[in-house]
Amino acid sequence: MYLMPTKRTLGAATFAGAAAFLLSGVFSQGWGAAESPTPLDAETWWSPSGGREFPASLSYADERGIITTLNLKGPTDTHGHPFFTPLGTNGRACITCHQPADGMSVSVRDVQARWKATAGKDPIFAAIDGSNCPSLPQDERASHSLLLDRGTFRVARPWPPLDADGKRIAPQFDIEVVRDPTGCNTSAIYGLHGKSPAISVFRRPRPATNLKYLTAVGFVFEPKNGFPLPIDPESGQRMSGNLLADSRAGTLKLQLLDAMRTHLETEGNLDPGQIQRILDFEAQLYTAQSVDFVGGKLDDGGAHGGPETLALSKPGVLKSSRDIQWVEYSPWAAPTTTSPASAATNPASTTATSAPATANTAGSGEAQRLFRESVARGAAIFRERTFLISDSSGLNSMNFGNPTRDSCNFCHNMTRTGMDVAPGQVDLGTTNEPFADAAPDLPLFKLTCHAGETPHPFLGPIIYTHDPGFALTTGRCVDIGKITMQSMRGLAARAPYFSNGSARTLRDVIEFYNRRYNIALTEQEKQDLTNLMSVL
Amino acid sequence: MWVKGTVLFSLAAALSYGADAPTLKPVSFIACPVYRDTNQGRKSGCWLADDHENGVRYDIGGGRAKPQIGHEVLVEGVVANSPDVCGGAVLVPVHTAVLETRCPAVMLPPENYPGRTFQVSAKSVLPPMDVERPLPAPPYESQQWVIQFNFQSDFLLYQYSEVILDAAARYIQVSGAKRIFVTGYAATKAMPVSGRTLSESSTLAKTRAESVAEALRRLGVDARLMHVSWRKDPEPIASDGGLEEPSKRRVTIRAEL
Repeated sequence: MYLMPTKRTLGAATFAGAAAFLLSGVFSQGWGAAESPTPLDAETWWSPSGGREFPASLSYADERGIITTLNLKGPTDTHGHPFFTPLGTNGRACITCHQPADGMSVSVRDVQARWKATAGKDPIFAAIDGSNCPSLPQDERASHSLLLDRGTFRVARPWPPLDADGKRIAPQFDIEVVRDPTGCNTSAIYGLHGKSPAISVFRRPRPATNLKYLTAVGFVFEPKNGFPLPIDPESGQRMSGNLLADSRAGTLKLQLLDAMRTHLETEGNLDPGQIQRILDFEAQLYTAQSVDFVGGKLDDGGAHGGPETLALSKPGVLKSSRDIQWVEYSPWAAPTTTSPASAATNPASTTATSAPATANTAGSGEAQRLFRESVARGAAIFRERTFLISDSSGLNSMNFGNPTRDSCNFCHNMTRTGMDVAPGQVDLGTTNEPFADAAPDLPLFKLTCHAGETPHPFLGPIIYTHDPGFALTTGRCVDIGKITMQSMRGLAARAPYFSNGSARTLRDVIEFYNRRYNIALTEQEKQDLTNLMSVL
Repeated sequence: MWVKGTVLFSLAAALSYGADAPTLKPVSFIACPVYRDTNQGRKSGCWLADDHENGVRYDIGGGRAKPQIGHEVLVEGVVANSPDVCGGAVLVPVHTAVLETRCPAVMLPPENYPGRTFQVSAKSVLPPMDVERPLPAPPYESQQWVIQFNFQSDFLLYQYSEVILDAAARYIQVSGAKRIFVTGYAATKAMPVSGRTLSESSTLAKTRAESVAEALRRLGVDARLMHVSWRKDPEPIASDGGLEEPSKRRVTIRAEL
């Protein structure tokens, strides 16, 4: 029988992993103890069938510090393990696109490094979805630009959409391809008018970790469509609705089977034992930032950052005055006698994490104190700084009105991960014009809602979008551009952000929201929020 | 018996809005809503609308669903003896429905109006799934519930509909009800308001009934026990504030033992 590890044992595992990593010398500056620095790159990328043992705790450097993944039942022998073994025809395994160094997703940084190291031959660049279109010449970088520059994979959705039983859904809108820089949507083979009509959109892979939070159901109803959440006929449990950008799979098993068929190009049916081994392995992974270059250990100073808190906490909890969002970092708040104004004018507080740590500042001293206070302020801003949320389908189209005043915490309301307990299909405007950022490298679609159908509540009957999102699953106009919110954990290791990779940095995420909702954040508030997100 | 749920939730809404007892002075009009950003914390803004026929500005923010700037709104309410904290005569109860017709999007500053801080009654929301709740106690008898809808909408409103559906499903299951009648209605008869005539499409009666039946099914009610039907032009029923037209946009759930 497996016993839930105690915080103490998990803490030891985490610390051991981090310490071993630090001793490798990568962080010799400021962290000390480096006798003979060794490059980490050789160990960073996990190739399928590599035969390495997946330890109980695994830590890697990222742009802001250290990302740690706990493997609660580890170590795991990966020989022949289906998560690590190519099960299809293109050489990929689950691990290909769910890398521990990248928070169990993949970062553009590591994708680009992989292109360079393998001259584009790594299975991650498989023609089916690791290129802009399979019909393009596969040995050219330009044919893989959306993966190399945005970290996005091609996701081909059948059109018209199919329901859970494989029956065609009558869509409420027509789709036209306005712009097709990849050529895939107008392709005679892969396109909208091909033999198997499909819409190709380009999306970031979601982390295969912290999954109990993705599948947690806090409340019976899905208030954005008014119905109780559906029940998985296989397990009898309600489906959370928080899996995948367009919520096309209601359970982890369905997601797995979808990924096998598409991303791994698996032929035939998987063995039930293999499916269960993958699901079991995923379920025992917890990932979070564990160390910050400047802030030091994230479970230090009374804080409870890091993955062990995720492993020990209850999922699906709605934030409240009792269950405060990001309470993990409340102990880092400045004493009440410290004036926020003085922190705001201190140069160190605004630059502490925008540059690599130095021997004089990293992990201790004044810079550490200022950074930690910044994180705590960021958490408070996240919870308490209200602004007018407007024209966002899935939010303002509910009872709340348009606009409605609330904070980041309104939607990012599940404690520990910042997902939506509700669940969270929302049109923020990351893919729909006119709110989306310019993206000449992405396809553009014109969607025209049929007469008599309820149009998009804020964009009307004609919508231009890079990705119809949830509407590719439901066929409904009101769902055009809705994208499922995702976990905010491990962000520092897996840039870029948003489903289409449109935000290259965490700061870009903040800037998008600031523009989108006219929040008027100060420079200090932007930095505080960026620092908060970097330690999740 | 049917009003058990409805009365409870309307009363809770009225109390949470800080209103005195309604004075039963119904008003009904179409207007372009105005949002006043009083900035008193989350969900704190005021909603105002002018009735062109009498020139009165009303505070219409106390309903189950809020308006949307840039879209006309149908307002049906009762003038209450409540203090003016937003810049308009308070309507409680009030029903607002967003219309498809566009109008200018207007927002106002606080202008010294305090607005209201957001409050929610524990009885008007469902608890998390893992909270243990006592089942409805016997003796059991045939029971009826009513769910109202916004004008020209079959959307099951967040919190309001959830609480009623949950109560109905739990009662049906614990009581061992033998037959469940789900009946949808649409107010298809023309209603004069602000010099126009409004009416609901007849298909709404069906889609409302089917939505409620689907929700009950997902809550565990045996679909084989449900008899789903729909009708148009219903008679008004007793409702909060005596508002007749909103009461016609409804679905009834009747459980027979």
